Amino acid sequence: MPLRRLFAATSLVFLAVLAISPAKNALRPYRSLQRRFRKLGAARAKSLKAAREYMARPVAIQQFWLRDFDNRVDRCTTCHLGVSDAAMAGAPEPFGLHPRTPHTPGDFDRFGCTSCHGGQGPATSREDAHGTSREAGPPMTPLADIEAGCGRCHGGESVAEAPTLSRGRTLLARSGCYACHLVRGHEKFRSAAPPLETESLKTGGTWIRQWLADPRGTDANATMPNFQLTKKQIEALAHYIFSLAPSEELARKIQAAGAEPPGDAENGKKIFAESRCISCHTVEGKGNGSAPELSTVASRASRGWLIEFLREPHAIDPGTLMPGFHFTEAESRDVVDYFESEFRDFNAPPDILAPIRVNQTLAEEGARLFRTAGCFSCHGRTVSEAEKFGPPLDGIGEKKAFSLDFGRRTDLPRTLPAWLNAKITSPRSFAPGLKMPSFGFEPEDARAVVTALLAMTAAPVPEAFRASPEALPVPLPAGRVGELFDRYRCLSCHRVGDRGGDISTAPLTFEGSKVRREWVVNYLVLPFSIRPILPERMPIFRMSREEATAIADAMETFWVDPSIPEDPFAGQPAADRDPEEGARLYVALGCRACHIVGTSGGYYGPPLTDTPSRLKPGWLYSWLKGPQRWRADVRCPNYGLTDRDALRLTAYLESLKPQNASAAAAGGAR
Amino acid sequence: MKRIATVLALAAAAAACSRKPVVRPAHTAAAAAEVPGYELRMGKAVFDHYCATCHGASGGGDGFNSFNLDPRPRDLSAADFQKRKSDPELEDAVRRGGAGVGLSPLMPPWGHTLSDRQISQVVLYVRSLAAHGP
Repeated sequence: MPLRRLFAATSLVFLAVLAISPAKNALRPYRSLQRRFRKLGAARAKSLKAAREYMARPVAIQQFWLRDFDNRVDRCTTCHLGVSDAAMAGAPEPFGLHPRTPHTPGDFDRFGCTSCHGGQGPATSREDAHGTSREAGPPMTPLADIEAGCGRCHGGESVAEAPTLSRGRTLLARSGCYACHLVRGHEKFRSAAPPLETESLKTGGTWIRQWLADPRGTDANATMPNFQLTKKQIEALAHYIFSLAPSEELARKIQAAGAEPPGDAENGKKIFAESRCISCHTVEGKGNGSAPELSTVASRASRGWLIEFLREPHAIDPGTLMPGFHFTEAESRDVVDYFESEFRDFNAPPDILAPIRVNQTLAEEGARLFRTAGCFSCHGRTVSEAEKFGPPLDGIGEKKAFSLDFGRRTDLPRTLPAWLNAKITSPRSFAPGLKMPSFGFEPEDARAVVTALLAMTAAPVPEAFRASPEALPVPLPAGRVGELFDRYRCLSCHRVGDRGGDISTAPLTFEGSKVRREWVVNYLVLPFSIRPILPERMPIFRMSREEATAIADAMETFWVDPSIPEDPFAGQPAADRDPEEGARLYVALGCRACHIVGTSGGYYGPPLTDTPSRLKPGWLYSWLKGPQRWRADVRCPNYGLTDRDALRLTAYLESLKPQNASAAAAGGAR
Repeated sequence: MKRIATVLALAAAAAACSRKPVVRPAHTAAAAAEVPGYELRMGKAVFDHYCATCHGASGGGDGFNSFNLDPRPRDLSAADFQKRKSDPELEDAVRRGGAGVGLSPLMPPWGHTLSDRQISQVVLYVRSLAAHGP
């Protein structure tokens, strides 16, 4: 009897235990959410049929299974039921319609959810899926930083429709982050920081101390971060820097230049203006700002160093963006004496350029500090991957907050973005002895850098999902023209294919198809302002006609696009050549809003009066058919012209007559 | 079965009652409310890049190129202008340009340069200029 009772009791217990699992399942929050969604859908439905369809939805796990995307399983739509349901616009979360993005709606099946949003796809409870529980994997990317999601697949510095990410990536490169931190794709990064060997002949003890204490306070264009050095450290580093010396020949040249007789500052002023130095430098903040501020340069660098740097910049700093100008001995002296007369810091102590008498002990301590503070990462000659000073950053975007050292920062929310933000705005606040310098980012820039960091995953996404900007295989000239390109540092400002700087708005990738050879030669010999509104203009290098011809020939040979016709009118009816019709179109389309022809028009785009001597008709035609194909961000709108209209406009522009001797012709006189 | 039918009937009734405020143009107020930021941010990027040259950074019609233009660019922040033009009208003007809508051809058509989405984003941003404008 007792046995039977026992059997009954155990059976009951067993049954109860069996019931636990289905009961637990039935009570899971997503099930009640799905039932709520049915009702909401039915309530919002516009027809009885649609309402019925909502009510007939089964309560079940929903998922995207992306076999070729890391075998991702994203069950987010189990709760977020309205993401692709247009009727759910404005519905309360978690049922709202996903906002439109370049990939939504339309790409849910390709990318799922976690590829952009992060978080834990297979989880079906809120805490686990969003990664807010301690046991969960990396958490979701907050919406404020959502462009980090774009950056997981999209490589390259500039990502269309992700301005914050692009800004962050630009700042990472400009601030030299990759010099200390290894990041996939940036293994070969070289900092633009100058070598320090000539500093002892360039500047003085007072200036170098000031600079080490606060680079950006000394020069607003500085890219060197603030290492928050103590007085003792500054002293040691200053002595170390002054213990270095350049080659004997260079030292002799700098010293000899310093002893040269005074030049003509008035003439220097003229040369300074015509050389267009503010295309890169600034004077009292005016100018491009990618090179040092010059308004106090004479209190920063010695006369000898400045003269020698103007004569042979690449002997002093082989990696500088500064082009070599053809200044004569006297002219470089004149320019520097103009600096000496006007570009001084009149509040600076008189001994600002007085050298340091090197104390060997301090210099040795400074040499150690040069290694241990990481200075060598930017100022060293070469830094191998193994020598990178900071930790690698791949995977930083997937760290769990619980694995981060918050140290003293008990004030911070325990999240990865908050930690990263504090790390880049006040890196030393976590613990004493940390080495990362502070970059003085504005809050908005700091946010952008955090976004770019959150995009860094430990493993790259599968090949098929990687979207990197199309690399244009544009050859860079070698030999004689290569040397000229190096001498004039064309790539400091101009882009060629996927290389080069962004100071100039004119990429040279298709220059051979674009401009006439004779025009290039004249322009290189004596450049003039094509777009007067831009502060950045082509410097006058005083290139010889022979050099200019060599460069123009190389452009005609290599930098052409085969889809641009030599003669766009070939095989077209004569009526399409009608400049009269083209002139009417020019007025009707409103081209004069931005372009000047003759004496009237806007000056946003280049003036067009000298078009016939400057641009090739094939280029004009191809440009008019779609300017963005040749420069993606150009503001000149695509008017969607027919072939015939584009030809007529081309014919009109080609028929223009320069009203007075154009600047190009003037260039020919040199 | 009967129960489901009742529920449905009730639901349909509820839908009928609550329908009227739901009718909204798909990409104006609704999008702005749902997605604080994204569409507006993209709209600002488009505006700053393409429009600010003439219409000015805050839409006042005072961009640096405006001084070369006759007629001068529209003051987009003006309250009466904002009130007078509907979103579709603004989108149309951006798409087909001044000449396309019977105004000055100095405002170019952007329909071949910007996508429909970018145009609706920039109109969304132009709407936000009224709030911040003088």
